[in-house]
Amino acid sequence: MSTLVQPAGRRPRHVTWGRIGVYAFLLSAAAFILLPLYIMILTSLKTMDEIRLGNILAWPTVATIEPWIKAWSAACTGLTCDGISVGFLNSVRILIPSVVLSILAGAINGYALAFWRVRGADLLFGILLIGAFIPYQVFIYPLVRLFSAFGIYNTLANIVIVHIIFGLPIMTLLFRNFYSSLPPELFSAARVDGGGFWQIFLRVMLPMSTPMLIVATILQVTGIWNDFILGLVFAGRDNLPMTVQLNNIVNSTQGERAYNVDMAATVLTALVPLLVYFVSGRWFVRGIAAGAVKG
Amino acid sequence: MPSIRNYALAAGLLLAGVSFAQAQEMKAEVLHWWTSGGESAAVKVFADKFKAAGGEWIDTAIAIGENARAAGINRIVGGNPPTMMQFNTGKQFDEIVANGFVRQLDDVAAAGKWQEILPPAIVDMITRDGHIYAVPVNIHGENWLWYNTKVFADAGLQPPKTFAELVSLGPKLKDAGVIPLALGGQPWQERLTFGAVLLSDGGPELYRKVLADKDLDAVKSPEFHKVAETFAGMRALVDQGSPGRNWNDATGMLITGKAAMQVMGDWAKGEFIAAGQTAGKEYGCVVLGDAGGYIMGGDVFVFPNVEDEGQKAAQLKLADLLLAPETQIDFNMKKGSVPVRLDVDVAKMDSCAQEGMASLRDPKKQIESINMLASPDLAGALEDVVTEFWNTPDMPVDTFVENYMAALEAAG
Amino acid sequence: MAIALPAATTRPRRFARRLPAVLALAPAALVVIVVYLGCMLWTIRISLSSTKLLPVNDFVGLDQYLRLFSNARFQVSVENLVIFGLLFLLGTLVLGFLLAVFIDQRVRGEGVFRTIYLYPHAMSFVVTGLVWQWFLNPGLGLQKLVRDAGFETFTFDWIVSKEMVVYTLVMAGIWQSAGLVMALLLAGLRGIDEDIWKATRIDGIPTWRTYVSIVLPMLRPMVVTAVVLQSIAVVKVYDLVVAMTKGGPGTASETPAKFVMDHLFYRNNVGLATACATIMLLTVIAVLTPWLYSQYGPNSQRRGR
Repeated sequence: MSTLVQPAGRRPRHVTWGRIGVYAFLLSAAAFILLPLYIMILTSLKTMDEIRLGNILAWPTVATIEPWIKAWSAACTGLTCDGISVGFLNSVRILIPSVVLSILAGAINGYALAFWRVRGADLLFGILLIGAFIPYQVFIYPLVRLFSAFGIYNTLANIVIVHIIFGLPIMTLLFRNFYSSLPPELFSAARVDGGGFWQIFLRVMLPMSTPMLIVATILQVTGIWNDFILGLVFAGRDNLPMTVQLNNIVNSTQGERAYNVDMAATVLTALVPLLVYFVSGRWFVRGIAAGAVKG
Repeated sequence: MPSIRNYALAAGLLLAGVSFAQAQEMKAEVLHWWTSGGESAAVKVFADKFKAAGGEWIDTAIAIGENARAAGINRIVGGNPPTMMQFNTGKQFDEIVANGFVRQLDDVAAAGKWQEILPPAIVDMITRDGHIYAVPVNIHGENWLWYNTKVFADAGLQPPKTFAELVSLGPKLKDAGVIPLALGGQPWQERLTFGAVLLSDGGPELYRKVLADKDLDAVKSPEFHKVAETFAGMRALVDQGSPGRNWNDATGMLITGKAAMQVMGDWAKGEFIAAGQTAGKEYGCVVLGDAGGYIMGGDVFVFPNVEDEGQKAAQLKLADLLLAPETQIDFNMKKGSVPVRLDVDVAKMDSCAQEGMASLRDPKKQIESINMLASPDLAGALEDVVTEFWNTPDMPVDTFVENYMAALEAAG
Repeated sequence: MAIALPAATTRPRRFARRLPAVLALAPAALVVIVVYLGCMLWTIRISLSSTKLLPVNDFVGLDQYLRLFSNARFQVSVENLVIFGLLFLLGTLVLGFLLAVFIDQRVRGEGVFRTIYLYPHAMSFVVTGLVWQWFLNPGLGLQKLVRDAGFETFTFDWIVSKEMVVYTLVMAGIWQSAGLVMALLLAGLRGIDEDIWKATRIDGIPTWRTYVSIVLPMLRPMVVTAVVLQSIAVVKVYDLVVAMTKGGPGTASETPAKFVMDHLFYRNNVGLATACATIMLLTVIAVLTPWLYSQYGPNSQRRGR
């Protein structure tokens, strides 16, 4: 693997019009992408009286952090008025096993598909990939019946299994292609040395997979943390994730709306995936190359 | 005081022997979609009364009716039902009743004389095959016109009495520099507006013929044609930014005086209250049309069949308690709707609610909402047709009529 | 491509060696057969019934499909999906590629830029969609801003125009997803050998030509990955529409996934919803099978065995 730590572009020389152009492009793109966040944060600092005036880009005349406090710990979401903090621990309890197990499943399947010829495996993989295109909401009803037949409906295990199932296509795809891109000699050598299926996986493949594991972590953390409908239907009322509280705060058909609290709650809920992006940004970028589909 | 009350309660229950055990574990998990501030306060009325009666209320609130119903119905078929679950008054719970998932409430209804205290249309809505399966808790008026009193006073105008007047007010209000009609241009709000015009200009008979009987001749009639024309005429009253707007943003335009009027259900009061405004002062309400029919929406609770004795006891207690006169007043004052029973005194409520209640006491003015008359499928298909018409100014009324008939025929 | 195994290896022994692989794949196979294949078949079955809310075991032939195809809203949805899909894929690829190339110029604060470009991915669209709705609203957002600045005739009213509204979805979609493509392609760029840059410099090839003619073809695997991930997002596009336009004005910005969801959850017509899902499924199979076959079929190139 010839992964370069350093960027591969041309070396910068002194300040030229070209350099200015590069920064001008990056900054204007950043401005475009940041604009909605800017509006959200402005709105979250205003009072509702001011928001009703409809000057979305105006600075708040009197800035208030009240909406942020309310969003985190005081907004009503039904009878409980404890903000979005209520579901935080539930979200973490769902997130960790779901992320770990779905990635592990993807890694094992990807490895088996890439190196071991198993009859019918490619067909199964094809069905899996096609299944990823169907809106999974269609599957909810039969899955409810299936899980209640096994007696695990509305438990923590249930929601974790559901996340593993719906994460399977993309996780398998990423790992399969990652392992296919490794030098084939690696596997042959291990086989000649008498390594079995699990030995090669645990001792050779898994240690080499760090970049891919990080990439998969980021994708799964984002997806599972932001999931709403699966958590709602399968997790059971004791395990409802934070997004249910978020939805209760920002959505209401007939109730009055507090947009400032909505905006604050949305930013607060996104903090966990944002932190993951920020912390693992380097790995993300270096790792994902190896998982690309071999075109 | 509460401690004395609890003591008395406990003492009473001790004497009651068996019911003591039941009351101790009277436990209800309640699934509903009342999540905003005002709605939370309303549902708290139910919870507090239930707690005072010795029950334990476990609250499962999930915003947006569709989400809550998806979760609840899946839990019911998955064998883990809540003790009590919210639906809109109408056909939403037809199938779970037909499949035997819901507890029948004939005894409670007979003891509480529901037949006498509830509007007949509401009794119909909770009855399936001659048995009662739901407790109605409120009536929302869906065809109110809200207006900003100051805007009208400044322009020297009177609020309209009919939709024709409303349309003719448009140019004058525009001259006064305000948007005549604030509309949240989302399909359901356009459907709500069309329903209001259909009842007001077409009258209750045409309204029911079209929506309940799916009568194609009624749709072809000149009256329906005229309704469509009035509706089309209202396009000129709306500002350019209407499409996609949330209903409460439209109400906000009234509150700030940017717009003069809005057609919306009585839940709009929640926004006015949140902005510190009072009915009859900063804003007014009126139901348009000579007939003055009151389109009734609302909510009911159903009780899924459960095994647990404590939950069963809780269900019976709740079925009775939700309809108690005091509960009805307290709940509906917070919710913005009016009590579902017609025999309660509404003097404590705001002027709009009082006016609504006065209408409801006239049986001729009790008009079912589209959700009560048509299946969700049909209501949705008609909504598609109405929104397409509203947003296509060059669509001839005849085309709209044809599309409307096609939807009536296609949807179940 | 098979690796050289000792000549003595017999069939049973090879099977014994592969047994752990078979066992390892068994849970996944079970999920694919029971859940994916099972649910797909269930969906097709239900689409042939008169199911409203709870499954009914009757048979109404192709009634739901006839209704589906005569439904004006469904037709609009399909057109929108095609327009949205093509522009969204093109837009995210172009913007993602440009961002990756520019960020690859050894800029300062690379990590900050990268996180900024990725953040929209982490946020619930319920609220960011509302912000887009406000910003694009002619009376609140950009148009008002520019007009207030003195340009009285400036008009930007796409979101309230039936013809243009689908392009606002494209705009917000690109905003949300360009960062992901940027990350994928940047990763690809980092994998390209420094020698290639040296060689092009010596030959005096202009930078832009190097990127277009040499680097871009080398990035093909990354581009394909990005296309697969984004295509899944395109077919399922739902949140974006609900949060921004509710399908309006009229039915001008409806999509097939929203059609499915509305009939599944709101309109209690699961039969029609599953018919639409089945059509989506068949379309995906028709498009994907040739590609899958060339990628993973018996004649595709394989490594280490």
